[in-house]
Amino acid sequence: MNLVLNIIISGLISGSVFALLAIGFSLIFGVARIVNIAHTAFYMVAAYCIYIVTHQMGFHPIWAMIAAIVLVTLLGIICYKIFINPIREHEGAVLIATIALAMAFQEIMALIFTGTYLSVPSLVKGYFLILGVKVFYQQLLTFLVAMLIMAVLWVLLTKTKLGLAIRSTAQDREVANLMGINESQVAMMTMGASVGLAALTGAVVVPLTILEPHMWMHPLIMMMAVVVLGGLGSLKGSFLGAYILGFAEALVVFLAPMGAFLKGSVALSIMILVLLIRPEGLFGVSFEEER
Amino acid sequence: MLLEVTNLSVWYDKAMLINHLSMGVDTGELVSLVGPNGAGKSTLLRAITGLVAWEREITKRSTHGDIILEGSVTFDGERIDQIPAHEIVKRGLILCPERRRPFREMTVLDNLMAGSYLLKNKEEIQINLSKVYQLFPVLKDRSNQISGTLSGGEQQMLAVGRALMSKPKLLCIDEPSTGLAPLLRAEVFQKIKEISKLGITVLLVEQEVSTVFKMTSRNYVLSSGKIIAEGTGEQLLQDEVLRKTYLGL
Repeated sequence: MNLVLNIIISGLISGSVFALLAIGFSLIFGVARIVNIAHTAFYMVAAYCIYIVTHQMGFHPIWAMIAAIVLVTLLGIICYKIFINPIREHEGAVLIATIALAMAFQEIMALIFTGTYLSVPSLVKGYFLILGVKVFYQQLLTFLVAMLIMAVLWVLLTKTKLGLAIRSTAQDREVANLMGINESQVAMMTMGASVGLAALTGAVVVPLTILEPHMWMHPLIMMMAVVVLGGLGSLKGSFLGAYILGFAEALVVFLAPMGAFLKGSVALSIMILVLLIRPEGLFGVSFEEER
Repeated sequence: MLLEVTNLSVWYDKAMLINHLSMGVDTGELVSLVGPNGAGKSTLLRAITGLVAWEREITKRSTHGDIILEGSVTFDGERIDQIPAHEIVKRGLILCPERRRPFREMTVLDNLMAGSYLLKNKEEIQINLSKVYQLFPVLKDRSNQISGTLSGGEQQMLAVGRALMSKPKLLCIDEPSTGLAPLLRAEVFQKIKEISKLGITVLLVEQEVSTVFKMTSRNYVLSSGKIIAEGTGEQLLQDEVLRKTYLGL
């Protein structure tokens, strides 16, 4: 019973984190066909941001969260303007540029903070017990915030004019243009939202993990696997794929002998299987390119 | 003239698709552009509605060849040839694109709402919506259906309805009857006539010359990017060479 509960908690939390990351990643891919490898690097930068504001400047973690989200979103928009926008029509070049960005962030963080493992205090301390299983309040908070953000995002996309513009542009940017939607402006705003999501994920996750310059690698691989499983560009697919992978990871960690070491291979195996059996993923569409 | 195209030329890389072309559409007219495949009909509509200017901006950032746009397009007394598409809609000029291209994963209602994206006044949007529903009752019945699941004819109605949602003065329609069954084609043409009667100026590109000539006030025959003839349907049909060579009748 304990084991089952542990698996459920762990699966739900990592699933939510992957979902937040993958949805942000899918969003900008869908709208602007940008494969943003630096997505999780922004998540890392947000985590360091929190470290600076709490540890080095001594503010309450909540201020750190707000600062991290605002600053990293701005950073994302600046990076988009300088590095991505000028080469947006070469999809391959964008891919390479974002890899370079991610590496640059990693090295800058390594220069400033060295490679030491750091940690950040939780926003809420303590834990409670469900049937004898320890659940930290921070874990619960992470889960709830993830749910809340996804709900907000859903409302934004389906009920607002900006959402309509984002969905239209994702489907056919030329026709969206015809309707008076400024496609490049929508792309920039989506980039902001996407990086903002990454920053927010970093902000809620950082108390649960260890802070170091390579911390973007594992989430990146998981996020890519989620996106491949769910179908590139599909938000629904990203959401479901994230929980499937979250639980798969939890199952392996808790049930397989030496499972923690196999963590990374779960995602990759699923990714390979999906690519072999159903390359378009669960909800992917084989793109009819009308661009 | 509501729309006036003067000496317009369009190059895609080194291919000249529109060659020093001049034409015009007056307020209230229903004008058609006909001509063989590859004559430049769609390119002309794309140039008028700003898609060529937009594409040129994009290709500047890519490895594709250059797009050149010369000459002038005037709409409602204002030069619009260098303005990108999304800026043109609010001036009252819109294109209902080739192959219909609804936003396939969105509902019919969302598609229509995208059409009135630039209108700020909610009441105005509702009025437009009821007008479109009146013209195309089928869209009202299907308003919550995902548009990709509509039939070809319904998708065409949706594409036209979506364009009308922007409250255009001039509606350009690119090949609305392509790929539809004969009965549906007749319906589409009927709807276009109704739109014209509502006072909206229509510039229509079509392959089905015999039907189109019966409903238009004037027609342009396009070939290799040039206007080679202009006139009413009757006038054009009297020209034996024109009929056989360009209209396929």
